[in-house]
Amino acid sequence: MSECNLRIALTKGRLEKDTVNLFESLGFDVTALKEKGRKLILPVHGQNIDVVLAKAADVIAYVEHGVCDLGVVGKDTIMEHGGKYFEIADLGFGKCKFALAGRKGYDFYKGYDVKTVASKYTNVARAFFESKGMDVDIVKIEGSVELAPLLGLADGIVDIVETGTTLKENGLEVYEDVADVSARLIVNTVSMKLKKEKIDNLVSMIESKIRR
Amino acid sequence: MKKNDLLTPEGTRDLLFNESIARRTIEEKLRHLFENYGYSEVITPGLEFYDVFTLKTRYFPQESMYKLSDAKGRLMVLRPDSTMPIARLAATRLRDEIFPMKLFYNQNIFRINPKNSGRDDEITQSGIEIIGGDAKRADIEVLSLAVEALKACAVDDYRIEIGDSAFFRVLILSVTDDEDEVEEVRGYIENKNYPELRSSLAKYNVSKEVKALEVLPTLFGGKEVFEKAEEIFSGTSAADLLHDFKQVYDILCSLGVKDKVSVDLGMVQKANYYTGIIFRGYISGYGMAVLSGGRYDTIIGDFGSSLPATGFAVNVNAAANVFLKNNGTQLAKHSEVLVYADENALEQGFAYCKKLNDEGIFAEYSINCSLEEAKEYALKKGIDKVEVIRKNGEKTEISL
Repeated sequence: MSECNLRIALTKGRLEKDTVNLFESLGFDVTALKEKGRKLILPVHGQNIDVVLAKAADVIAYVEHGVCDLGVVGKDTIMEHGGKYFEIADLGFGKCKFALAGRKGYDFYKGYDVKTVASKYTNVARAFFESKGMDVDIVKIEGSVELAPLLGLADGIVDIVETGTTLKENGLEVYEDVADVSARLIVNTVSMKLKKEKIDNLVSMIESKIRR
Repeated sequence: MKKNDLLTPEGTRDLLFNESIARRTIEEKLRHLFENYGYSEVITPGLEFYDVFTLKTRYFPQESMYKLSDAKGRLMVLRPDSTMPIARLAATRLRDEIFPMKLFYNQNIFRINPKNSGRDDEITQSGIEIIGGDAKRADIEVLSLAVEALKACAVDDYRIEIGDSAFFRVLILSVTDDEDEVEEVRGYIENKNYPELRSSLAKYNVSKEVKALEVLPTLFGGKEVFEKAEEIFSGTSAADLLHDFKQVYDILCSLGVKDKVSVDLGMVQKANYYTGIIFRGYISGYGMAVLSGGRYDTIIGDFGSSLPATGFAVNVNAAANVFLKNNGTQLAKHSEVLVYADENALEQGFAYCKKLNDEGIFAEYSINCSLEEAKEYALKKGIDKVEVIRKNGEKTEISL
């Protein structure tokens, strides 16, 4: 770990763009981030910050093990992967929700049979039904989870819903909201203490921006 | 097809050469420290009854313990911690010994970590327990020794952080006593999850305590924390605690490690384990706490003999890894001489090798088939000198 620089892992894709915009609005020099080519570690000149680009779950792994001090990652990934780190700010972007959905008009909670639920987020799905004290079979699906109830594999799905268009177009509907999702700023538990001043500065800058 | 016969289970490893030396070096340093301060070693069994770890505390989730059953079908665990067995010991076989009692241990614990997390399931822990005695004196001793233990592990870049689980307890109890609600708030404070904490506390009536809980996880850092805390805690039951806590902090600072001590009033542990001052130690080069401990006044009571206690454990695996990183590869001792005995002088050869060793020279007895092979072996192993012993006692020295 570099002693002087803060290392921030960003989830590649939309959260990365939103974070770069946030940095830009804070007056940071983000040219290297915008013209990144294929580089995976990028400097923010003049700020003693290095940005690392990674997949969502990897952001958590890097922060948890302390090779990155901070990370920007969706609440969805946090809920699915858990782990030990501080989750200090809701960045307010990347908003969507987890929902239980299925075929339109079907009563998911009716009857005594054990229901089957398909999800890419099996831990989220399991925790949701555990909190209800309800036994369900959970099937892990990697791709378009919407297919599972349509093909008759599952009674419902637990998945991320943004606009609900995909659901509607496939004759599905949301039965129940599971949790709200947005981008979070996470911090390694040791970095939070050993690099307190630097992290405090950055976080208060970010908070003053997102609270507005 | 068999393949497990070639692997070690996830979370375990073979330690080779320098790794072993680093591990033993840390163990020795800590043992030396603890013995100097009057601690006596205890060794508890690797196998314990499951029940030892599932008292009222509920601190050890069952999915994190390695379990097996004994010949009578009773559930056993590979010990996931050393404090509970020592508490058991204090309440049983040590009950009539001299108290206060200072104990130390150096033994392995076993915990099931999530798959692919890269964490050790088998960890060597070295630690102390102070059982009985005056709480304030014991707290000061345990904290000071924690600092010394960190110094022994890291060259100089270490940090000790202290908190007190009582702050959270008194504040939350004036808000709610529903176990699930307490646990929810505790979790958010532990993870410094500011956004969720805010929304979780929003359902309670506004009070000084709720306000204090909301800022509790932000109360960490140096001396300035106390000013802020005084203001926030004033008028709540946490205010009195703060005074005692500050006293311990001041004493620790005055021991000459001021810049290494910080506080985190938002440090909270699972309910029913720690009851007072808690602390963690960090060394640079490791992304998690390398030392942790605190006061646990109710655990020994769970075993039937009410005694206050405090202690800490050092994660020796982690400390040894950092030690190895910092101290490079020159840990292993090299033989200085390889003694090769001629076919008809095998005994004389070994006798000579022994003589060198008795004189304090690292000499290795060659078991190679020929002098050529011995020379080649010495070259590969970085031994500078081969001495050949012949039947008439004649000695030839070959420098490589």
